Amino acid sequence: MADTSLAAAAAPAFRFSATETLKHVVLVLGAIIVLLPFYVMISFAMKSPAEIMQQTGGFFGTQAAFVDHYCVKLGNPESACMVNPIAYNFTQAFTKAPLLRYLLNGVIVTASIFFIQVIVAMPAAYALAKLRFWGREAVFGLVLFGLLIPVHAIALPLYVMLAKLGLTNTYAALIIPWTISVFGIFLMRQFFMTVPDDLIDAARMDGMSEFSIIWKVMLPTAIPALLAFAIFSVVAHWNDYFWPRIVITGARDLFTPPLGLREFKGDIDGNNYGPMMASALVIVTPLIAAFLVAQRRFIEGITLSGMK
Amino acid sequence: MPGRYAHLWFIGPALVLMLAILVLPILVAFGLSFTDYGLGNGQTDFVGLDNYTAIFHKRSFAKMFGATFRYVLVVAPVSVALGLGAALMVNSLGRIGEIYKTIYFLPVMAALIAMAIVWELALHPELGVVNRLLATGCGSPLELWPWYAQGCTDGFPFWLNDKRYAIWTVAFIGVWQAFGFNMVLYLAGLTSVPRDLYHAAEMDGAMSSWERFRLVTWPALGPTTVFVVTITLIRSFQVFDTVEAFYPTGGGPSKSAYVMMFAIYEKGIQQNLLGLGAALTMVFLGFVMILTLAQRWLVERRVHY
Repeated sequence: MADTSLAAAAAPAFRFSATETLKHVVLVLGAIIVLLPFYVMISFAMKSPAEIMQQTGGFFGTQAAFVDHYCVKLGNPESACMVNPIAYNFTQAFTKAPLLRYLLNGVIVTASIFFIQVIVAMPAAYALAKLRFWGREAVFGLVLFGLLIPVHAIALPLYVMLAKLGLTNTYAALIIPWTISVFGIFLMRQFFMTVPDDLIDAARMDGMSEFSIIWKVMLPTAIPALLAFAIFSVVAHWNDYFWPRIVITGARDLFTPPLGLREFKGDIDGNNYGPMMASALVIVTPLIAAFLVAQRRFIEGITLSGMK
Repeated sequence: MPGRYAHLWFIGPALVLMLAILVLPILVAFGLSFTDYGLGNGQTDFVGLDNYTAIFHKRSFAKMFGATFRYVLVVAPVSVALGLGAALMVNSLGRIGEIYKTIYFLPVMAALIAMAIVWELALHPELGVVNRLLATGCGSPLELWPWYAQGCTDGFPFWLNDKRYAIWTVAFIGVWQAFGFNMVLYLAGLTSVPRDLYHAAEMDGAMSSWERFRLVTWPALGPTTVFVVTITLIRSFQVFDTVEAFYPTGGGPSKSAYVMMFAIYEKGIQQNLLGLGAALTMVFLGFVMILTLAQRWLVERRVHY
C-alpha cells in the first residue's frame, strides 16, 4: 500500500521494519504452499520407483542406477538393465504413451484455433468498428450476448450437434467450437475504434480494397492487442481438458496433452509415479517457461478479460 | 470506395459461427431438455418437465447442488480475499514483490489436470508429502489444536478419500489455482487508485493504514472487485478437471464432490441421458446468466470515484 512505500522512500535504506518482515513471512509461507506440487512433480520425475515408495533420496534422489524389472522380464541380464532414474522416467514417459504425438496434437489444435479465431474475428471487428451498415447494432448485440455464455457450459448440445454430423473423434471436433471468439471480436473492435478514420480514408484513396485495409493497415496497428489475445487463447486451449475429454473418446491419435496425461494415469501399472510426473512436467513446462521469459506479456494476456 | 457489400463478407463468417456455436446449442439444449433423447436410441419421447423435476427432487441432484455450492462458496470468497491480500502486500513491497507475483501466478499457467494429478500424489495418505509434513509438526505446540493432536495419534486424514474432507480438499486446490489470477487483477486495479486520494485521506486524519484502506483503497477497487468476484464465481461453477481426475466415476466418496459440470458429463456423455444432461445444462446456464447480469447491473449503477 501507499503508506509503506512512501515511508520506505523517506526512511534510510535497509532499516529493519517489522511490518515488512511480517509481510515477507506471510508471502513466503504462501509461496511454499503454491510451490509444493511443483516441488513434488519435479522431485518425483527425478527419482527411482524405490525412492518414491520409501520416501528417501531428498529432492533430487540419489541418482543411483537401479534395475528395470520390465527389462529383466524380457530376458535381458540384470547388468544390462541398470538405468538412471531421470533417464528411465523420461524415456518411459515418451515410450509408454505417444507423448510426442500428444504434444504435436496440442500444437496443431491450439495453433489452428488461434488462426481461425483471428481470421474470423478481425474482419468482423473491423466492420463493427469502422463500417456503417444495416443491422450493425444487432450483430454487436449478439457479440455482447455471446460474452455471457461460457462455451464449456453448452458443451453437451455442441457435442450432440457434432455427433450428428459424425465429427466426434476428429481434429474438427477439437477446433470448431472455439473458432468463434466473441471475446476476440469485442476486444479487437474496441481497439479498432481508436484507430483514426483518416488512416483508413487515406488507404482507400490509395485504392486499397477493404480487405487489404484489414490485413495491411488495421492488423499492424493491432499487434500488441493481438499478441495478448494469442497468449490468452493458447494458454486456455493448451490446458483445456474438459472439451477434448468430451469429443475424443478412445482415438488416441487425437489426444491432446491433458487427455494423454489423464490416460497415462489410468494406465500406469502399480505405483509407477516417476514416469507420470515426468509426463506432467513435459506438458506443463512449455507454457511455464514461456511465462517466465515473457512474464509481463503473459500476465497482460491472461488478464485480458479483466481490462475494460 | 468501400465495396457496397464488403461488410457482408466481413461479418458473415462471424455471424454464422455465432449463431451455430453459441445460439443454436442453447436452443438445442432447451428442446432436448423436455425429451428422453439419447444418441442411437430408436425413439425419442417428449417427457415434459420430468427432467427438471428429477433435478430438483432426486437425492443425487440434491448432493450435486450441495457439492457445487460448497465448492463455489469456499473458492470464490477465499480466492478473492487471498488475491486482494496478496496484491496489497506485493504492491507495497515494490520490486522485491515481483518474485511473489511470479510464483503466485504459476498455478494459473500450469495445466490444471496435470497439477490435479500431482496434488493427488501429494495428498496420498502414505506417499504424500502433505501428511508427512503435518507429521513433522507432532510433538510441537501445534498439538494444542485438538484436530492436530488427533491427527498425530490416529493418523492424518485421507484427504481426497474421506467424505468429510473430499469437497473441501478439492476446494482448497481450486483456491490454490485461482487466487494468483485474482491477485493480478487486483494489482492492475491498484495502479488506477489516484495517489492524491491517499494524501487527501491523510489530511482528513486517516492515519492508520487500515483507515486508508477502508476509506480509499477499498472503495476505489470497487469496480475491480465486482469483476473479480463475478469471474471467480463463474469459473468456480465450472469446476471439472480436478473432480474428474480424482473421481473418474461417481463424483467422490458418497458423491460428496459431485459438482455440476461433472454431473452434466456423467449423465450426458457417460450415460447417454442427453435429455437430462440438457436440462442440467439449462439450469447451469441459468446460474451463469444470473451472475453475469447481476455484475452488469452492479457495474452500471455503481458510484465511480
